[in-house]
Amino acid sequence: MTARGLYIYCVAKGDREEPLDLCGIEGTPLWALTDQGLVAIVQECEPKPFASADQKVFANWLLIHQNIVDLAWERYETIIPFGFGTVILPTNGNSARQNLNEWLEKESAEVKRKLEYLKNKAEYGVQVLWDPNVILPRIREQDAEIQQSEKETRSKPAGVAYLLQRKLEELIRQRLETAADVHFKTFYHRIRECVENIHIEKVRKEDPPKQMILNVSCLQNKEAMPALGAVLEKIGQMPGFDVRFTGPWPPYSFVTAGG
Amino acid sequence: MLNQTSMEPTRQGRATLVDLLDRVLDKGLLINADMIISLAGVPLIAVNIRAAIASVETMLEHGLMRDFILPQILPQDTPQLKPAGAAHDTLPE
Repeated sequence: MTARGLYIYCVAKGDREEPLDLCGIEGTPLWALTDQGLVAIVQECEPKPFASADQKVFANWLLIHQNIVDLAWERYETIIPFGFGTVILPTNGNSARQNLNEWLEKESAEVKRKLEYLKNKAEYGVQVLWDPNVILPRIREQDAEIQQSEKETRSKPAGVAYLLQRKLEELIRQRLETAADVHFKTFYHRIRECVENIHIEKVRKEDPPKQMILNVSCLQNKEAMPALGAVLEKIGQMPGFDVRFTGPWPPYSFVTAGG
Repeated sequence: MLNQTSMEPTRQGRATLVDLLDRVLDKGLLINADMIISLAGVPLIAVNIRAAIASVETMLEHGLMRDFILPQILPQDTPQLKPAGAAHDTLPE
């Protein structure tokens, strides 16, 4: 068995080494392995990257990973989740288990500090989308330059009008960009005020005409949820804006260095 | 604030699945050490898996993800983790 790797799902506080009545990827039994007052939820695996050419198989593994992490989160209350596909290898005569213990010994203080920080907290995803078709008329109403440019475009002969139209489109694009930026800042600060920690994520492409203008991960005390919910409710009620609010997730976004 | 309506977070639906996969694939604790391998070093796999997600979406969109996955990970349909019995006997070395 020394040549086997250990696929690791998460670490938590604990000192009970035991098999768990759970199967992980490929139906392999799960174990809670301990050292330094920490417990690592693992399964044995081939000592190589987890990959499958079959996309359904792969997607299934991802969901198994997440569900195991979720169940461990329920049981141990506070966990540090690993991303999909983390495998501890056997090296230079050390088994994967020995390498796991070495890592836990080396990192136990930092891991325990993080676990303390994450106690009673969960991660939530927040995305704000807007529909430019709804927003633009309101911008146009208040923008003398756009109104003037539209008037000029209408009054010129076709050739000139074409050029003016391009110019007008560019002006509108800039105004929308500025408005998106202003809204991002306003929403970000409102959300920031009622959460423990926040990370800005890349905006994702949406089905047109909707555009995502804000994507953040929030770390929040589970009992303090209504404050964030109320802020998001208000944003979602603004004409042309939609809010997505997902979670609670294990704190995937808040376990890297600096937490 | 007390009487105000408050939005509730959800774990259902397509957009939620994307949110979840962003976390499982790109986040979580990363260890930089020779004895660890992770998907972070295999970017193509991550791209591939995003395409694969569509194939499980349909299965998941009408219900809880757990309804689909739990039977696979809980051999006796146990509702939650619990100390095991005699099924496992070899501690990983």
